[in-house]
Amino acid sequence: MIHPVDTLLALVLLSVLISFGSSRLPTLIKALAFQGVVVSIVPFFMGHELTAGGVVFTLATMVIRGLGIPLCIHLAIKKVAIKREVEPIIGYNASLLAGLLLIVAAAFVSPKFNLPQTSVHALLLPTAITLIVAGMFLLMARRNAIAMVLGYIMMENGIYVVGTSFSLRGHHIVEFGILLDVLAGVMIMAIILQNIKQTFDDVDTAHLRTLKE
Amino acid sequence: MVEFAFVAPMLTGIIAFFLPLTAGRPLLVLTGAVHLALSIMLWALRPAAFFPAYFAVTPEGLLSLLVISLLFFLISIYTTAYLKAADIRSENIFTGSMLLFLSTMTMVTLSEHIMVMWIAIEATTLASAPLIYTHRSAASLEATWKYVLICSVGIALALLGSVFITLSMDVGGVNVPVAFSALTDVANQLDPLWLKTGFVFILVGYGTKMGLAPMHTWLPDAHSEAPSPASALLSGVLLNCAYLGIFKTNKIMHAAGLGDFSGTILMTFGLVSILAAATFILKQTEYKRLLAYSSIENMGIIAFGTGIGGLGTYGAVICLIHHSLIKSSLFLCSGNILLGFGDRLIAATGQMARRMPKTFVAFFGGFAGISGFPPFGIFIGEFFIIMAAFRTGHHLAVGLFVLSLCVIFAGFARHVMKISFDDVDATTQIEEKSIMVWPQYALLTTSLVLCFWIPETLYQTIVQAVANMGGGF
Repeated sequence: MIHPVDTLLALVLLSVLISFGSSRLPTLIKALAFQGVVVSIVPFFMGHELTAGGVVFTLATMVIRGLGIPLCIHLAIKKVAIKREVEPIIGYNASLLAGLLLIVAAAFVSPKFNLPQTSVHALLLPTAITLIVAGMFLLMARRNAIAMVLGYIMMENGIYVVGTSFSLRGHHIVEFGILLDVLAGVMIMAIILQNIKQTFDDVDTAHLRTLKE
Repeated sequence: MVEFAFVAPMLTGIIAFFLPLTAGRPLLVLTGAVHLALSIMLWALRPAAFFPAYFAVTPEGLLSLLVISLLFFLISIYTTAYLKAADIRSENIFTGSMLLFLSTMTMVTLSEHIMVMWIAIEATTLASAPLIYTHRSAASLEATWKYVLICSVGIALALLGSVFITLSMDVGGVNVPVAFSALTDVANQLDPLWLKTGFVFILVGYGTKMGLAPMHTWLPDAHSEAPSPASALLSGVLLNCAYLGIFKTNKIMHAAGLGDFSGTILMTFGLVSILAAATFILKQTEYKRLLAYSSIENMGIIAFGTGIGGLGTYGAVICLIHHSLIKSSLFLCSGNILLGFGDRLIAATGQMARRMPKTFVAFFGGFAGISGFPPFGIFIGEFFIIMAAFRTGHHLAVGLFVLSLCVIFAGFARHVMKISFDDVDATTQIEEKSIMVWPQYALLTTSLVLCFWIPETLYQTIVQAVANMGGGF
């Protein structure tokens, strides 16, 4: 029987592919919001014992990752988002192919790490690796500043999967602090995005290339 | 009591956001003074924290904390005068962010839990981002964007590294608090593979923030676009905070018997940084970027020294303290130069020795100090590092090290000579307020005094900090 965690993680992998293939920013933001929700409910199905604090923490994560962060970005870029494409450096088809190759490679290397959890949940480590590398890919392969922020969030999602599933010593206060840091980081990025939009009337990072040696 | 050191500036920082525009200036100095008093008390009493799982007073943390406190106090005095002279629109945001920045950096020095360390270092990025964007120009926007994005991604890797270290506890079957000191005690039971992986990620992550090449690209932009007092803080103490994260992890590596592994990587990153700085410093056209590249060089020296271990680590800590004192005074001088000449280009300056004699003394003294001339502490630190490198037989590395230092000195000297003595049409004296030069004198004098006389308690603390890496004599 397929474990529910693996079903959820399969959805996460799909959201990665959707984000690689989508040309419009709103789609990208929705894919990331969906990914945030799914990633944050994974701990419910892991079979760890959940305390009351743990449940509250997981729900709070879900709200922040699924609602708070996407809303924050959406508000920051309201006007630009409707009009603009993500300005890819690497095209969508090539990106999709790269995404598929990435998932295959991640599934291939994962068993070599020999972690106890991977025998129960086959997709756990491949998904984490895919999310982290895919986030970096979006950061490098898109010139649009919003797509870059979304790449950063995808990377954080990947680290969250590693943190909550492999390590059993979750101090919820600490994880909550990490979450708040990420939220504050995204908010600051959103403020900068707004300023980039006002200054250049665009969020293409090609404008941000004057400072260099 | 321990936690109060970062809660106090956090509260005043939040208050400063809501104060009228110029009302934050006295608050800045007042908080600086209170913070300095608190740091000295922490140093003398070494109390336990309210939340010992998350915070603790450690020797290496105390060293950084005292440097932060002293620097912030002197810089805050300079800042009051700088804010009067410079045109800064949202001054309350600037002062508020300065105070929050102080609070987050204090939190870094006092954090004991690996994840709390990460939270605090990420928080320093967020608190300092508004400082870089103070001038609201397109260039400062670009610098802020680069800073936030590159550092956040870098620090995300450090988070992954921290998770790997907790994983090494699970795999090794160790059950202790996830605190640096507890992990150092049981280091040899940790799983070495995951510990090594964790260290590499943490080094790359915090190394980004520390300005190690090739992850340094944000540093020159951020340092040149921020207002000078903020640049002084960024270069003088923020880089140290990131180094502290690496230093504490390196301690675990040494305790686990993996010191050679971590040392080799640290030395490589250090040398690459010094070489990168040597390449870029020759062709600089802006004096603040020049100082920024010199920071990259010094961080490289510190990483190199830490990698050698033993006497080298001691030298690295000496370099760390003196780099903070001297580089922050240089950045404050660059603020005076910017206000005086009204341009960031080296080509627009000249005759500083005649036109701004007070600033010239501090700037030239700082230049001599940062290049490693004898009466200042960097000389001693570098001397120890070179000695340690010869002792451990790293002849090729130390050869490259010395060669790069010579190139950097030559490049730096050419630019400083141009700023100080080059002929320009205008020869009128530029007004210098004494309040905008004596903080620099105070910083340089401290460095000078520490070179000849290190108080016993300071020496003991440094030795305690580096003890497990075979430091001291």
